Amino acid sequence: MTRSDRAAAWFVPVLPDARIAILRTVLYLFVIIDINAFVRDPIPLSRQPELYSPLLLARILHLPPPSLPLTVTLYVVLTVTCLVAAANRLPRSLGVLIAAAFTWWTAIGMSYGKVDHDHLAFVVALWTLPTAGVVVDRWRSRTVSAQSGWVLRCIQIAVIATYFLSALTKIRSGGWSLSSWPNSAILAWAIVRRPHGLGQFLLPYPGLLRVMQWGSFCAELASVVVLWLRGRALLVAAIFWLSFHVFTVTILYIHFAPTLICWLAFAPLERLRGLRGRMRGRRIRGWRQRAGRGAARESLPVVGHEAVDAGR
Amino acid sequence: MCFNRPVEEQVHRMSRWSRRWRVLAALLGIGLLVNGSLRMSDDVWPFGPLSQYAFSPAPDTTVLITRVEGGLADGRRIDVPLRAGVSGISRAEVEARIPAITADPSLLRAVAEGWSRNHPGEPRVVQVWLVQDETRLARGRPGPPRLVELASWEVPQ
Repeated sequence: MTRSDRAAAWFVPVLPDARIAILRTVLYLFVIIDINAFVRDPIPLSRQPELYSPLLLARILHLPPPSLPLTVTLYVVLTVTCLVAAANRLPRSLGVLIAAAFTWWTAIGMSYGKVDHDHLAFVVALWTLPTAGVVVDRWRSRTVSAQSGWVLRCIQIAVIATYFLSALTKIRSGGWSLSSWPNSAILAWAIVRRPHGLGQFLLPYPGLLRVMQWGSFCAELASVVVLWLRGRALLVAAIFWLSFHVFTVTILYIHFAPTLICWLAFAPLERLRGLRGRMRGRRIRGWRQRAGRGAARESLPVVGHEAVDAGR
Repeated sequence: MCFNRPVEEQVHRMSRWSRRWRVLAALLGIGLLVNGSLRMSDDVWPFGPLSQYAFSPAPDTTVLITRVEGGLADGRRIDVPLRAGVSGISRAEVEARIPAITADPSLLRAVAEGWSRNHPGEPRVVQVWLVQDETRLARGRPGPPRLVELASWEVPQ
């Protein structure tokens, strides 16, 4: 295998299809949460045509300017299709439809002067999920494929890009300087503008705020490493970044939930399958105990109760 | 415990072409994203720069909070929260339009109408003001805020 073959293979790891099936359920249901809780303003915004300034995407594709019928249609289409697709039905056709409709919906929400940066991984996930095709047996699938691996790798890259590229943008905006952003008063600025969270208790300590800026900037620069971590190290990194988001929520009320949910692409979701089997096994053992058969210590063969990497 | 290791037995095959387009698509996506962050603006979303809080205010900068206040028919002057659910438009969207609004204050119609639509039981909005709270930082610590009026518009009845 040549070096370029090995590099190419990194993009298409062989991973469980069950992870895709579970991720589809979670992410398609999350779309419904997203259009109601996060990017929820396209319908009210479509009443303000004079404030609309279309993004490049809308100009290239000649998308019509948002109107009430259009945004309401997108809302209904997304709600209905996501409910069906969450059950892993019609994964290709509905998946593409959802990706297109959600991208359009979100692009409308960002065409009134303010662009958010928390949807990158989520949009990538929606566009790549249909390519994995039908997962036979859905959540209970026991197959693995590079098709699923590619989707998961793309989502993982997009999650990490959200952090790493934001560090690059900070270097760029500071006149290509590594220290201008971490040494600036950005956190004080942000807390003064969003004075609702715990951040206001940190305002009297600009030195501490600067230390926090250096910490987050270094973590963002180093985030690329996560793509090569495995096992416990990956778990620790995931916990670190989830804590980072909890922290930004408490001091600034900024959540990045669409990025957070995409961290699931790193998780061995297929193990939920075994969990279900184990819970069933425990229930059956409980019944046996209550029935007085004294079989509590006997191991009961239950499909799926074995560890997923048993035998390796 | 290893999260990215294959754990199953039955493997679906992938053709050479299938694998090739996937690798190329991933590389193209990465290229577009890096290009977006290094050279482009928000206009190229979703391939634009990840520029959330990516600027460097000086420790003695002035922090501006843009707000809209509304004068009601019963004489009260209220703060109109700039959230899509309350006023039909968010603060960031109003902020992005400040030059346009000061040039043509009638653009505040969107906020007045949005608020009235969501508060049918309240008196009419007869006037709206675009204002800013200015807070000066001194070595990173905030001083007292000062209110500045940028534009005002009388709602035609």
